[in-house]
Amino acid sequence: MAYAFQVIIDALSLGSFYALAALGIGLLFGVLKLINFAHGDFITIGAYAMIIPSAATQATLFIGDFHPLILVPSIVGIVVVIALIAEFAVFRPLRDASPATLMIGSFALGFILQNLTIMIYGGRPKAVGIWSELNYGIQLAEGVQVPALQLIIIGTTLILMTLLVLFLTRTKHGIHMRAAAEDFRMARMLGVKANRVIMLAVATSGMLAAAVSMLFVVQTGILDFRMGVSLMLFAFIATVIGGMGSLVGAVVGGFTVGAVSILLQTFLPSEMRVFRDVFVFAIVIVILVVRPQGLVVSRAAKERV
Amino acid sequence: MLLEVENLHVHYGRLAALRGISLAVAEGEIACIVGPNGAGKSTTLLAISSILAPSQGTIIFDGASIGGTPAENVAALGISQVPEGRHIFTSLSVDENLQVGAATRKDKARIRADYDRVLELFPILGERRRQSAGKLSGGEQQMLAIGRALMSNPRFLTIDEPSLGLAPKVVDQVYEVLIDLRKSRGLTLLLVEQSSERALNAADRLYVLRNGEIQLEGKTADLQDGKAVHKAYFGFTHEHDEDEVEF
Repeated sequence: MAYAFQVIIDALSLGSFYALAALGIGLLFGVLKLINFAHGDFITIGAYAMIIPSAATQATLFIGDFHPLILVPSIVGIVVVIALIAEFAVFRPLRDASPATLMIGSFALGFILQNLTIMIYGGRPKAVGIWSELNYGIQLAEGVQVPALQLIIIGTTLILMTLLVLFLTRTKHGIHMRAAAEDFRMARMLGVKANRVIMLAVATSGMLAAAVSMLFVVQTGILDFRMGVSLMLFAFIATVIGGMGSLVGAVVGGFTVGAVSILLQTFLPSEMRVFRDVFVFAIVIVILVVRPQGLVVSRAAKERV
Repeated sequence: MLLEVENLHVHYGRLAALRGISLAVAEGEIACIVGPNGAGKSTTLLAISSILAPSQGTIIFDGASIGGTPAENVAALGISQVPEGRHIFTSLSVDENLQVGAATRKDKARIRADYDRVLELFPILGERRRQSAGKLSGGEQQMLAIGRALMSNPRFLTIDEPSLGLAPKVVDQVYEVLIDLRKSRGLTLLLVEQSSERALNAADRLYVLRNGEIQLEGKTADLQDGKAVHKAYFGFTHEHDEDEVEF
């Protein structure tokens, strides 16, 4: 019982990372039709921004040492600024290019960000201890104990998703963003400012990336210039199996990928666990064969005749 | 003239969709462009809304050229469009669709007044305001598209095939609303129809477009000779069915 509960919490907290990252990707895909492969590197930058640049393998905290009320806005601010620079320097000049060109542009941007990270912080992974006091156990019931950090990750994710839903459904700009994501040309014809909506989506996506940065570093305690890349890969898969263009799908996909990974981790024979991702991707292929449109079909993609 | 289009050329790649058309619509007028499939009717409307960039020619609205103006700023000038296929936002509710229609405006009280008026015009939209717009019937979607276009309080409204896919009774209703809007608000309208007697009856001015060129134009009052319109539309006349020309 306690074991099953632990597995569920593990699945939800890993799924939270994927879901948050997938939402960041999904938001940009909605308005720009861009699969932003640099999203993972935004996450990396948010994580590295917490430490002092050095070649040491044990990182010294910089922003990471600040009070959370300063730390959180600082990291969010840095990632949002990087994302907006990307919009002005890369995405906007490529506005009329084909989606494939845009995607390659985002790859290029990702490589630049990764190599900048190496230049500034060195290429070796670093250990970083931040908020390690959150790694205590919470007694939920008789014999059921879970790390507080995992509950914080799940809770933060739920709060961020609720805020995002409120923004998208209750505010004028949020409604404009959804309209633009469904039919950009029509939204412009009605006077929705194209560049403003895109900038808002880019900034929101950057905020979500920053949230993943902080939660991920606190949980893993490791900085690596490739850390965002693997997150991005799983998050991208989450958006695909969830249904490209649907934010609900991104969340469903994120938690699905998280759950599948944890279940395999739990139930695979120990000598096969190193190949866990092979099984994850095999299941992804099966899902796509059975439901090529994704688990959640976006209403934007389903045209009424 | 509220809208003056001069020598407008639009190309899709190397393919010419419009080859130098000129048209004009006076304030408070209903003008109508008719023509067969592929004549360039929708292209004309998209160029007016600045969605398509003309390769040559000028579009002047209320005395100022709108060439090169981004589409969202053209909307702010008071030009609104119900495009081909309606393009309502199916993942948004009816209310949200109408809200996006007011994207160019800030004055909440006046937006609210226009919202109430749209619901008065199309009561069915009020009944379904919280529903997803994708669940509306074709006729209701057309009403929503027109209602949404009116939410910007436009001076000039272009509608691409208001009658497409609608039951004749609903078409009557739509035209009634359009004629009433002109009367009550002085709204200027440019309609596109593939072929419709109704459009001819409602319009003050008619343009027949074929192969990207205006074949015939004039006040509808002067165009009651169906044979000339028929010839402009098809490019030929049949000797034997002269009496049955239909629009």
